[in-house]
Amino acid sequence: MAHDTTAKSDFSPHEEHAPAKTFVLWRPKSPTGLMDWLTTVDHKKIGFLYGFFALIFFLVGGVEALLIRTQLMFPNNTVLTAQQYNTMFTMHGTTMIFLAVMPLSAAFFNFIMPLQIGARDVAFPRLNAFSLWTFVAGAIILNIGWFLPVDRWGAPDGGWFGYAPLTSKTFIPKHSIDFWVMGLQLLGVASIAASLNFIVTIINMRAPGMTMMRLPVFVWMTIVTSFLIILSFPAITIALVELMMDRNFGTNFFEVSGGGMPILWQHLFWVFGHPEVYILILPAMGIISEILPCFSRKPLYGYPIVVFSGACIGFLGFAVWSHHMFTTGMGAVATAAFALATMCIAVPTGVKIFNWIGTLWGGHLQMRTPMMFALGFIWMFMLGGFSGVMHSAAPADAQQQDSYFVIAHFHYVLIGGSIFALLAGIHYWFPLIFGRKVSEFWGKLSFWLIFIGFNVTFFPQHFLGLNGMPRRTFTYDPNMGWNTANFISTMGAYLLGLGILTYFIVMVYTRFKGERVKQDVWDGRTLEWSIPNPPPEYNFRVIPTVHARDAWWYEKHHQEEIAKEKAEHEQAEAAHGGIHMPFQSIWPFVTSFGILIAAIGVTIFDSDWSPGVHWKLGLSLTGGLVMFIGIYLWSLEGAEGYHLHPEGDDHKPDAPKH
Amino acid sequence: MRLTSLLKKLFRLDVCAFLALGGSSLLRASDANWFVMDGHQSTIFVEGPVARSQTNLFYVTCWVTLVLFILVGAVLAYATVKFKARTAADEHAEPPPQGHGNPLVEMGLIAGSVLALVVIAIPTLTAIWFTYDVPGADTKAKFEELVQKGEAYEVNAIGYQWWFKFEYPGEQINGFGSLVTANELVIPVGKAIHVNLRTTDVIHSFWIPKLAGKVDMIPNRANLLWFKAEKPGYYWGQCAEYCGDSHAVMRFRVIALGPKEYGEWLDSQLQAARVAPVAVAGAAAPKAQFAALRSFKQNEPGITDKFEGPTPLEAWKKKQLPEENENAALIAQGRELFADKTCMNCHTIRGHSVDRNGQKVSFGGITAPDLTHVGARTTIAGGLLENNREQLQRWIHNPGDVKPGNKMYFGVGAMAGYMKKDDGGHWVRNITLTDADEAALTAYIESLK
Amino acid sequence: MSSHAATIDHHHDPSTSTGIPNKKLLMWAFLASDCMFFGSLISTHLIYRLHPPSGSIRPLDVFDIQLTSFSTFILLMSSLMMALAVNAIQKGNVKSCRWSLLTTMFFGAIFLGCQVFEFNNFVLEKHMTLSNSLLGTTFFTLTGTHGCHVAIGVLWLGLMYVRSFKPAGGQGGGGVWLTTLLHLGALFGALVLSMKFVIELVWALQGFNGYAMAGFMGREFLTLAGALVAVGGCFWLARPAGAIDFNEKHAIDVESMGLYWHFVDIVWIVIFTAVYLLEYL
Repeated sequence: MAHDTTAKSDFSPHEEHAPAKTFVLWRPKSPTGLMDWLTTVDHKKIGFLYGFFALIFFLVGGVEALLIRTQLMFPNNTVLTAQQYNTMFTMHGTTMIFLAVMPLSAAFFNFIMPLQIGARDVAFPRLNAFSLWTFVAGAIILNIGWFLPVDRWGAPDGGWFGYAPLTSKTFIPKHSIDFWVMGLQLLGVASIAASLNFIVTIINMRAPGMTMMRLPVFVWMTIVTSFLIILSFPAITIALVELMMDRNFGTNFFEVSGGGMPILWQHLFWVFGHPEVYILILPAMGIISEILPCFSRKPLYGYPIVVFSGACIGFLGFAVWSHHMFTTGMGAVATAAFALATMCIAVPTGVKIFNWIGTLWGGHLQMRTPMMFALGFIWMFMLGGFSGVMHSAAPADAQQQDSYFVIAHFHYVLIGGSIFALLAGIHYWFPLIFGRKVSEFWGKLSFWLIFIGFNVTFFPQHFLGLNGMPRRTFTYDPNMGWNTANFISTMGAYLLGLGILTYFIVMVYTRFKGERVKQDVWDGRTLEWSIPNPPPEYNFRVIPTVHARDAWWYEKHHQEEIAKEKAEHEQAEAAHGGIHMPFQSIWPFVTSFGILIAAIGVTIFDSDWSPGVHWKLGLSLTGGLVMFIGIYLWSLEGAEGYHLHPEGDDHKPDAPKH
Repeated sequence: MRLTSLLKKLFRLDVCAFLALGGSSLLRASDANWFVMDGHQSTIFVEGPVARSQTNLFYVTCWVTLVLFILVGAVLAYATVKFKARTAADEHAEPPPQGHGNPLVEMGLIAGSVLALVVIAIPTLTAIWFTYDVPGADTKAKFEELVQKGEAYEVNAIGYQWWFKFEYPGEQINGFGSLVTANELVIPVGKAIHVNLRTTDVIHSFWIPKLAGKVDMIPNRANLLWFKAEKPGYYWGQCAEYCGDSHAVMRFRVIALGPKEYGEWLDSQLQAARVAPVAVAGAAAPKAQFAALRSFKQNEPGITDKFEGPTPLEAWKKKQLPEENENAALIAQGRELFADKTCMNCHTIRGHSVDRNGQKVSFGGITAPDLTHVGARTTIAGGLLENNREQLQRWIHNPGDVKPGNKMYFGVGAMAGYMKKDDGGHWVRNITLTDADEAALTAYIESLK
Repeated sequence: MSSHAATIDHHHDPSTSTGIPNKKLLMWAFLASDCMFFGSLISTHLIYRLHPPSGSIRPLDVFDIQLTSFSTFILLMSSLMMALAVNAIQKGNVKSCRWSLLTTMFFGAIFLGCQVFEFNNFVLEKHMTLSNSLLGTTFFTLTGTHGCHVAIGVLWLGLMYVRSFKPAGGQGGGGVWLTTLLHLGALFGALVLSMKFVIELVWALQGFNGYAMAGFMGREFLTLAGALVAVGGCFWLARPAGAIDFNEKHAIDVESMGLYWHFVDIVWIVIFTAVYLLEYL
């Protein structure tokens, strides 16, 4: 039985000679240019776009961080005003979490995951495009305030956590908070839609023989992360709905005078917020679990335990949210329960570190740039993990909560953890994505700049925190003993910025001028290395049959058997009509565009029905109409496609390198 | 100290990097041994049982994780060095054995980590119950008993954007209710202080690092915190939850006094506001006594370590005494201005709610700090500025520059401040002060001991 | 391919790794997510019911359990019709499927009409609004969100219904999208106008006097006329015309929609229990 990966239940044999459509149900086919990027349903192009936007926002968030550090370089500094500073740290947090790390992870999910499971696309290609464009719409709304007057609009300044009642209309009447609310709502829609797609793809579109326990660990982390997203984002969506109702329709959810309890916001926020932490780190762990075996030239140590510990972290992640609230007076019993649950989560996390070291043990470690980042990740994540254990001791946390100690902790986990792994991943998969390889010298130089800059920035912040410096403060007095550490930290931040800049310049240079490499440049172990670089639009000329974990490694060591099998399957597929590819579509983009317009209409809406309300409502309704038209024509055009018959022999593995 | 000396060694690298950058010469204040962490808000050098139990617990977690870090780190470093491919031959060697792991090793490591966590968990649980409420005060009745025995003491702390109000429910003033003060909490040494934490606007967090870890002040939620000062002292505190524009400068002080001094302080606080002696009726309008206001830079520090007297506590004690060279006429003029300029609408000065002719001007508002004895505090503007003439005048000259967004400038609720909104929704000036007004008001406020 | 289609196994899709059709899996995963949405909202409501501010409205003074029980029953019946629609299309019976879809929509619309009536009643007669009490805040937000889910379901049912008239093999050319849109418009015009008419009628009847009735007839004559025209349009657009491409291969689409509809129904049972019935204990 041939394995039809695109699995359309309304698949029909007529499609190859689809009748001419009128302009409304036209299916774009342009393979290049702007129209191609707007209408693409190819998971690789969508993944690339996710990465492109994420890296731009990563740089924006980085500039915000540098401004923050510049303000804190000296006591009583005046680079930023209090309000600018508050806007800066709000947007730095929001941008880095929702617009940089999450979409960068999504870029890898999109690009790499289908290749690793031997699929030709995700389960719902058009839904995938919709997720991308809705993410872009959310990013636009979050950042639109930068370009508007600061007295009535402005960029969000209520903190990335948006604690009620500070974010209520009474205390921040500006629309900045509305941008934040609506931006996060759209990002939530995008993330949930994308995650649903990944879940179905991983469960249903694996190549024959790719059992769940043969999935690469990165794919496992993708599915765990996706489940975390679909189960945790609803909590913040509801919290944001309640906040929006409070701000625009006079409800009492967090209105103190009406009996509302602001503590409810914190619970809803952290029920989302803690799983979010694992949404940021689990993909990183997945990437590391791919890179270490590849450059150690041996399989991941304790695969089942690494997989199980990842799932365990995801599960426990829902039971520890209140450790962000140890200082809210929950009572001794609740505090104790959440403290113990938090300690429990250290066990599966520690297990991963043990297994990574076990993977190195007895291997032949090849110190390429991705491997350097991966080793840097283990060291930095260990430090961040250990300061995390310190926070689980609730009474000690009462001193550390909302101090620079916490800032140091989570930057070790999120930069030393997530970002290091994502940068490693970019280096690792760059040859696959673009067919070019980053120079080892420049790669390693950027690594060392980033590594040293990062530590100089954040290690002193542990001391600042223990010395009593609170977070989110735009200034401090010179007599508190915080001057030197802040100065060092700022210098480190500049060095880190230089490292990141080097990294990106090298990356862009390599994209256009870098050394071209042949297929499977790292002598990889998983299926994405079994295809030419850059990958053809159909990914696999013949859907692989998987016989073992590290499927490509197995293929390389059983070439005759595999060649015979491939030939048989190719014939079967050709008899079946060739490779089925989905048509491109403009409607996901139109739908997202409608959502963007509608959401802008809602954010600028004033609850007091002040002048201009008609065109504001009109804007919302127009957006809603565009969205409806998008959905309507999307559903009417159907999930049709065409067939490809690729020629040539691009599928033969190289001999294993020794 | 053992820890700090160790960390000092670990840290030499960073210090070198720092020196290489030539940064030390750029620093305005020198705290070159910053890694000792002995600042005013240190959580390491603590001076009360609650903070001490928290610090001890921190040491436990620190030692356990340090040992783990050294063990795991050593193995990781060894593996990296030992198994690194060094030569071209290494690079192209046959792949190593493709082993998949060893369940026994895994189980052993899991058991080990669980054990390490138990070492942390036990003192954690003990400390949670110890730090939660005053020991032995499980019920209201038991707490009252402790208060009777002189072992416990109750105060209320209420957070506002961006200052703290303190109430003493045990000290009642006829016709006024509890004794109220602001931004400087004076407590008796050796008694367990039970603080009821309240707020009416947004979430704040009450933190005196040397005495106790923070607990949040959350609207519609009755939180509490306890701590004890072991010896007389002057402690720094700060709001630790982001609460809007001026969160960074929402600070306060705690002054712990021995029994005799505390009694004296209480007696003076229970009095109505002081009237400066020898107010000569009909005296010629006084001249401003100090030079026109010097201009302050944005964020210019308003406070130094150089208090008058050897220690901050001595400086505080000195503040309790009347200023020398008081100009009674100027003070009297300031007192009138305080009513005329509507300061009274928000601030209470207990006993001064009538003017010189006995006319009742106002009861005094409660939406701003109680200023009855403001002259006896070491700081003003929510702990941000030192309480001296220069800073007082800086503060009342343009509060919006000192504390961004503050309510004295922009008003609170329906009450206008220095600015108010006109019908078109634009900000317009509401209170205007001349240099002479500022001098008189400053003299008056200084006299309120 | 067509011989294959005659023996579609609706419980196993050979093209996927697990045999579960992709669309069904997507819907299940989405419903898991939706559970968390409603979980958060219901928790909010219950938390505030357990910690009511002093002087808050008592739910028993507001609720009208008879009306809500009726609408709950109607929603349950709509689930039955939904199940029949899935069954019909799995057997290839397009006509029967269409009638079941219409009935499901109709019941859904009755439920929504009851909710509109209930909300009006609470606001105008019982003086509980979105903003004057915490109970109003949580009640209207929770039941309103559920109402939105039902409305989306009705819209989806409508789309599926008109889609079942799409001609086979691209016949009808580019006019398809326009005809279908017209059909959709007629369908929802009929639903909304008749809903408005019925609600206004009930209010007029509650007025118990000829004056109210006379005013009602004057005001709502056009609504009735519009509704009748729209119904006529529906019949005209639904006239038999050539081959269609809707068949048992689309059973999975109807089935996924059915999962959503049943889920919304189950959520209502939970809300009905937690918000209404528990108050009567």
